[in-house]
Amino acid sequence: MRQKLDRLSVRVCTVVICMLISGTLFAQRKVSGTVTSAKTNQPVSFATVTVKGTNVATATDISGAFTISVPSGKNVLTVSSVGFADQDVTIGSGPVNVSLADKVSSLDEIVVTGYTAQKKKEITGAVSVVNVADMKQTPVGTGEEALQGRASGLTVITSGQPGAASEIRIRGITTFNNNNPLVIVDGVRGDLHNINSADIESVQVLKDASASIYGVAGANGVIIITTKRGKSGKAVVNYDGYYGVVTRGPGFDMANPTQEANALWQSKINSGLHVGDANWGSKQYGIGATPVLPDYITPYGAFQGNPDADPAKYDINNNQITKANKAGTNWYNTITRNAPQQNHNLSISSGSDKSSYFFALGYLDQEGIADYSFQKRYSVRANTQFNIKDHIRVGENAYVYYKTNPIFGNQGEGSPFSVAFREDEIIPVYDIMGNFAGTKSQDLGNAHNPYADLYRTKDNKNNTWSINGNVYADIDFLKHFTLHSSFGGVINNDYSYNFNFVGYENAEGNTGSNSFSENADYNSSWTYTNTLTYSNIFGQHSVKVLVGTEAYSSSYRFFSANRSNYFSEDPNYWVLNAGSGTQANSGGAGNITVWSQLAKLEYGYMGKYLLNATVRRDQASVFDPAFNTGYFPGVSAAWRVSQEKFLKNVSWINDLKLRYSWGKLGTYSDVPATNPFNLYSTRAGKSFYDISGSSTSPYAGFYRSNIGNQQTTWEGDVIQNVGIDATLFNNKFDFSFEWFQKKISGLLYVNTNLNGDPLFSGDAQQPNINAADNQNTGLEFNGAYHGSVGRDFKFTISANITSYKNKIISIPGGDYFDGYTIRNVIVNRFEVGHPFGAFFGYKVVGLFQSADDVAKSPTQTDAQPGVFKYADINGDGKIDANDRTWIGDPNPDFTYGINLSASYKNFDFSAFFFGSQGGQIYNQTLYYTDFPDFFKGGIRRDVALNAWTPTHTNTTIPLLRTAGGFSTDQSTSSYFLSDASYFRCKQIQVGYTIPSKVLSRVGIDRFRVYVQSANMFTLTKYNGLDPELQSSDLQNTRQFGIDQGNYPHTPSYLVGVNLTF
Amino acid sequence: MKKKNYKFLIPITLILAVVAFACGKSFLNRPPLGTLNPQILATDKGVQGLLIGAYSLLDGEGVAGDGELSAASNWVFGGVASDDAYKGSDPSDFADIAAVEDWTITPSTGSFPSKWVAMYSAAQRCNDVLKIMRIATGISDTTVIAAQARFLRAFYHMELQKVYGHIVFADESVDPTHTDVVNTDDAGVTAKIIADLKFAVDNLPETMPDAGRVNKSAAKAFLGKYYLYQKDYADAYTLFKDIIANGKTPGGASYALMPHYFSNFNPAQKNNPESVFAAQTSVQDGSSVDWGGDPNGNYGDILNFPYTGGPGACCGFYNPSQDLANAYKTDATGLPLLDTWFNGNNVSDPTTPYVGNLDPRVDWAIGRKGIPYLDWGPHPGDSWVRNPGADGHLSPKKDVYASSQKGGFTDQGSAYWAPTELTANNVDLIRFADVLLMAAECAVQAGDLPTAMQYVNQVRTRAANPTGWVYANSDYDAASATYIKQTTPADTYKIANYTSFPDATYAMKAIKFERRLELSMEGHRFFDLVRWGDANTVLNAYYDRWRAILPLKKNAHWTPNKNELFPIPQGELDKLNSDGKIRLVQNKGY
Repeated sequence: MRQKLDRLSVRVCTVVICMLISGTLFAQRKVSGTVTSAKTNQPVSFATVTVKGTNVATATDISGAFTISVPSGKNVLTVSSVGFADQDVTIGSGPVNVSLADKVSSLDEIVVTGYTAQKKKEITGAVSVVNVADMKQTPVGTGEEALQGRASGLTVITSGQPGAASEIRIRGITTFNNNNPLVIVDGVRGDLHNINSADIESVQVLKDASASIYGVAGANGVIIITTKRGKSGKAVVNYDGYYGVVTRGPGFDMANPTQEANALWQSKINSGLHVGDANWGSKQYGIGATPVLPDYITPYGAFQGNPDADPAKYDINNNQITKANKAGTNWYNTITRNAPQQNHNLSISSGSDKSSYFFALGYLDQEGIADYSFQKRYSVRANTQFNIKDHIRVGENAYVYYKTNPIFGNQGEGSPFSVAFREDEIIPVYDIMGNFAGTKSQDLGNAHNPYADLYRTKDNKNNTWSINGNVYADIDFLKHFTLHSSFGGVINNDYSYNFNFVGYENAEGNTGSNSFSENADYNSSWTYTNTLTYSNIFGQHSVKVLVGTEAYSSSYRFFSANRSNYFSEDPNYWVLNAGSGTQANSGGAGNITVWSQLAKLEYGYMGKYLLNATVRRDQASVFDPAFNTGYFPGVSAAWRVSQEKFLKNVSWINDLKLRYSWGKLGTYSDVPATNPFNLYSTRAGKSFYDISGSSTSPYAGFYRSNIGNQQTTWEGDVIQNVGIDATLFNNKFDFSFEWFQKKISGLLYVNTNLNGDPLFSGDAQQPNINAADNQNTGLEFNGAYHGSVGRDFKFTISANITSYKNKIISIPGGDYFDGYTIRNVIVNRFEVGHPFGAFFGYKVVGLFQSADDVAKSPTQTDAQPGVFKYADINGDGKIDANDRTWIGDPNPDFTYGINLSASYKNFDFSAFFFGSQGGQIYNQTLYYTDFPDFFKGGIRRDVALNAWTPTHTNTTIPLLRTAGGFSTDQSTSSYFLSDASYFRCKQIQVGYTIPSKVLSRVGIDRFRVYVQSANMFTLTKYNGLDPELQSSDLQNTRQFGIDQGNYPHTPSYLVGVNLTF
Repeated sequence: MKKKNYKFLIPITLILAVVAFACGKSFLNRPPLGTLNPQILATDKGVQGLLIGAYSLLDGEGVAGDGELSAASNWVFGGVASDDAYKGSDPSDFADIAAVEDWTITPSTGSFPSKWVAMYSAAQRCNDVLKIMRIATGISDTTVIAAQARFLRAFYHMELQKVYGHIVFADESVDPTHTDVVNTDDAGVTAKIIADLKFAVDNLPETMPDAGRVNKSAAKAFLGKYYLYQKDYADAYTLFKDIIANGKTPGGASYALMPHYFSNFNPAQKNNPESVFAAQTSVQDGSSVDWGGDPNGNYGDILNFPYTGGPGACCGFYNPSQDLANAYKTDATGLPLLDTWFNGNNVSDPTTPYVGNLDPRVDWAIGRKGIPYLDWGPHPGDSWVRNPGADGHLSPKKDVYASSQKGGFTDQGSAYWAPTELTANNVDLIRFADVLLMAAECAVQAGDLPTAMQYVNQVRTRAANPTGWVYANSDYDAASATYIKQTTPADTYKIANYTSFPDATYAMKAIKFERRLELSMEGHRFFDLVRWGDANTVLNAYYDRWRAILPLKKNAHWTPNKNELFPIPQGELDKLNSDGKIRLVQNKGY
């Protein structure tokens, strides 16, 4: 040992002396040369030339030429370029001319896999490497959306609303609570939603035990993002931008006023009413045998010449004279528009052997198809690194953005897209005086004027600014050791205010007073990571060992204030002090911390037997100290079969690797800091009581707000993965295939079942307990074929498929619990043996066709000819709650992405398709459009024309009635289910790169123009607006696959440029 | 070698810094923010606060899953279920309640768990008071706090028992770790309710510091009422006689009928000597805009305003039935038409209205076309009714505030559909007129018909006071619930006292009718009909009279031995029996 140390100090001394000597003997020298392709002899531009063993690098120019400053003592250059194999050349005297061979494969790409980086060929886990260039082609406003379909095992579902949050799932739903994967940006927990995708350098998705190194946070998978850095060489300026429009899409096919009135009459006939009965007719359409469209809806049912329709008698509150729109108002078209989009990114990057920088500006301006919806984001990124001596590197990554993005509630009966099909077509947008018209007249239902709803949001604000990033230092010492220290995080501040107008034109709430609310929240999180890496090669053995610690803290505070009764509705008047009504406010705060230690071993023998082992110990503040510690080990191994002698000579196999991994992961999910504690709270609405009878000054009281559980601990996942990676046929075809099984035990679960009933627990919040078990198994495939025809035409076809089966293994205190309730009907149920979110209700076997049919069928409440006939599941001759059954599953059988790209001379083409096969959506919108008994309002044209009547029986649409019931709209039934399969062209584009000969004269290195369309077409049988449907509550799996009126994706058309100089 | 030391200095310093950081145990010690632990609450103030929290659910609102059906007013279970009122609004708006109009309720009918959830949550809040009290120190008066908590717990169980019948009594021993309960021990539940009420009667003082607290007299009234429901008339009568003679409000005022009938429904006159015990409501207290957090205004009745244009912001629910309006007809002597009220024209019929004498209370209980609607002007008729075909032509009135009270006794909330109007109208759970009429029933059972008649006449005498009538062409005085210019009564009012109760049968008929008139639209009617055993005859006759006209009554039928109780919600059965052990047995017939 002593000897060793001595030898070490001798070496160090030698190095130091050499450095001193070299510093005096040799100054840095400039070396220049050219890089060409071995195959074509054409110059290779933008190739990276690095001085081996340093961070000094540069890039070749358009003619393949480079000049680089080589530090003293170095004499090897490494040249790399996309599509070519890396090559080392020794610097001789004179220019260095390098001829690059075509790349054998992408297997030497460096992939970041969690605290370390590995070559792709050395990876032992299921890690998807996203093709970032392809990813950036989809013109979207958020980082998540860009990832849709880009990696097997990863599904991303968004709504069409600009800036909407996405539902991101890696290998399906695995927990009742938060299923969002961990996002690591430049080594710290970061924000994928607001990242400017133009700044992204690489994206990796860890899907199996390779995520175990993230232990506590890795259970939902990990998305690792690195952002761009400057490369050595002259400053490169890049501009990318596009401009285009999103079209409004087809909308709904609603009945016109005549059809709707006829349907209303039919519903009265069907309900046994006759002309002359007290309830016959309508205030708008008269009391005759057939409905007559009026000239005015206010005064109701009035015709030209009616004295009350004299404009002189107009009174917005009591006689809001409004003409009937007999042709019908297409509300969808009224609230939508062809919305302009633009996105501009400008970056400058450069570097030297002492420092590098990447500086980028981004501007995104995305208008939504719904009037007044938009997202605007201004962003700046500055990534820099400084090399201090040879062995210390310090740097920072910083991203600052400012965003304005007022979001309205999607997916709900009051959202603009829902009200657009609920508002009666006979209502015009405006009354005769130009004020909004609405349902306040008579017999027109209770929907809102959707355009008025949107118009009134136009001055609302929702502004966010945020700083994301980190500072770091890497210190190399003792030759094989590197110490890495990073501190970083996210700070963001949201500020919003909105004004609630009184909808004088609406049937409901037309007399209240206006109000104003203003909200602020402040969130911050930080991650402090320190790792020590040892890496060495002993003969055929390569070893890398990493140990480290990490501290994570996340906290938030928010407040909101509200005041009513504003004298003026002018936006300039909107401050809290200007109101005259009650002042109310609320607020809250929270903080959680996690402390971790981690270790990782990467071992390789002869480059063909590979082993990775990781372990992480996590402690989280949300659990009681006795139960807060979790250990998460992971092991993975790979065998590069193609490196064995017996396959070396099989020419069609370029690479073949078998992989297996096993690991434990965990999550504390959304467990709040209150979880271990029995707690009491105070809140005006819940526990204040006006016991003195003052009418305005209640006494403050307390209530038990939380029941604690000290024994709650991590949700534990055990994941196994078997994978094959292959590159075949002279590198033309490569694929990966994965089988996985993920068993989740002790699912964190808030018990609202037996013990959680108010009978036992009152209204206190139940703790998360470790209870249910769940299992996902699945298959993934992705493959690519790279081909060429002749010399100029090259193409790549790649595809990925993800399939998983989800099954609940156990649930505490029984076998099931009820899921989501809409309009007082329970839609889904979580039960052992069934997947998450499966729909549970009555199965419609048809419509009762006659009284005789009713009599012969099992007894059913509310049965009559024309209504649903439910299946008698238990065969007891009567339909009751025991006949509810499994009627659908929102989980798709598989999802897939297909990417096509091709180039011919200076033209390039790419297209990306995304599809989802199998799975159903519970289309709650039918509740309004197909059952006009539920308030009057818009109905689907097909319902108006094709509903059951005694003479029109060949239909699946039940008869129209004046009141709903158990046998139509008041039960969960299979009628509301629709096939959710779809195939969508997410993007398609054609580009042309102007020949460099032309450009070099004006100092431009590259200039490409393109035209593009996103969401150009969709093939689907789904009967709602858009089958690409996200949960109405992204944090809650109970609302999975339910369409309550969704902001749709619609085709867009863009032109764009890429410019480099 | 200095260089070498420098090289090691930085990594070693960093490693030491990391290790030092790890030693900071406080990093993982993150107490939850904005909450209180039990130790902090275990003081006099803490327990008093918990008691306020237990009171605060008297209005039925303030827990997840609450709503219109958990309203203290019982407007659905007591009102819509009876011949008092229609559901209102469009037939399919709140279609769950439509199922109460024609008795197609099933255990799965959506919002029926509201009452269950609110009342059991409330009962557990009472248990929290009793539990924390045991570990608390420095409590000023343990007995009085316990007596209030146990009174409230009894009240919440009485409500549960009225609606769902077979229930579990949730005392301090019932908690998430003690789930070994079953809803088949009705006698046990009843005994526990009586024990709690007796404890309250024995230990509560007559005078209490706040108008909204339960005192000895109020506890007696509830015990009496509970005895009445158990048909223990003798014990009930003793209590009623006692409080009629000696009962006092917490402030020390002797119980009395207010001179003006509508004072009982006027937020400006709440907690008056007639109010025995009420669910207190408040507005502009920081809770009303606390959406999702359940405002303290009368949220349970938030839909029960005229449809549009008048008071309230929404929605035209809880329309008084035409049958109820007709019940206010009086004969030439001013007595009600006990057997024939439904004959002849309908009161305020839009085409051929009834012309004749009316009990003056009709125009305080019901909004009718042309009659002054407090100070909102004359009721405009059908434009205040959302769907006259289903809802008739009448509007509710007892929950409505005066225009001059808007802003003072009301406040804005906001639901997703619209702004909503909340009021500071208390909900009287028992008022003195109710005590008198309950006492009258007991008197009949005791064979004392003259006393029974005297009680009924006491109530009628107040109604006959012309100062408290509705007048046309006059201004409403919201301070006193009277009209200022009392020259032209709004209709032909004629009301007189009974002169004799010839026999017990007649006496009971008169008392029952008087309860209907005096306490209409106050959430008692259905429970009274069931208690009397009259629901079958009265309700089915009512449906037969109206089924031809009212869509929601078309197939209505009340089924004896089933519809006395509402079904236990299927979701509760699903939950409580989900481990295979039967804790809840569904009510007969459902």
